Amino acid sequence: MKLLRTTPEQVVFLLGNREKELLLSVLRLYPRIPPAHQQLSKNPERLPDREGGQRLLAESLAEQRAEQQKRLRLLIEDRRRLSATQSGWELALSPGELEWLLQVLNDIRVGSWLAAGSPEDLLGRITERTAPHIWAMEVSGSFQMGLLHMLEGEQPA
Amino acid sequence: MAETAIPEVLPDTVQEQQDKPRSDLEPGFLVICWNDPVNFMDYVTHVFQRVFGWNKSKAQFHMRQVHEQGKSVLARESMEKAEHYVHQLQKYSLHATMELDT
Repeated sequence: MKLLRTTPEQVVFLLGNREKELLLSVLRLYPRIPPAHQQLSKNPERLPDREGGQRLLAESLAEQRAEQQKRLRLLIEDRRRLSATQSGWELALSPGELEWLLQVLNDIRVGSWLAAGSPEDLLGRITERTAPHIWAMEVSGSFQMGLLHMLEGEQPA
Repeated sequence: MAETAIPEVLPDTVQEQQDKPRSDLEPGFLVICWNDPVNFMDYVTHVFQRVFGWNKSKAQFHMRQVHEQGKSVLARESMEKAEHYVHQLQKYSLHATMELDT
């Protein structure tokens, strides 16, 4: 993944064929974090409105998930966003879209980690069952770090 | 938190609210971010900057606290504001909660 150009309205990346396939494969896994995993408090019994607060959080996250899924569909299908060129695929994102893509990638990374059994040590936990989850973690993490480096003005390694 | 390069940070991060009498601040809720081995350190720093509008060095200070001490208190706020911050942090899939400050 390479940063091609940046304007105030748009950031344009160049992806190779394999990178584009990897990105789309991993994005199709969204959402991965089970809604029940996200809790408002570790001590909810001490909050004034325990159930209301948790419900609000669940609603807010559900709304975000629905919105992100809609945006992802548009991103994947819109030829102006992901277009073939002679040197690969150009991905054009607004700064706001970059931010939600980071959120989506991290949902996939964290959700895949949870699905793999929340291992502290990934390499020691690769089995037939966990391998697809660890693959998704690594791929989403790689794109995530690439985007972060580009936001910092660096080219990813 | 997943390892990335640890920056040198000279914290400018003494909690601003410590100057105010405690009675002025109550009732208060702590916004806490907890450590996990999956979120990248650079990502956590980025999220703190986005959600709280902090400069990079303050965001890195709190990120390091999460990484080294297992958690960091990011803010002490009213219930509504604390809820808002937890919603924002969880939208980035960070392990963040709000706890009653006693």
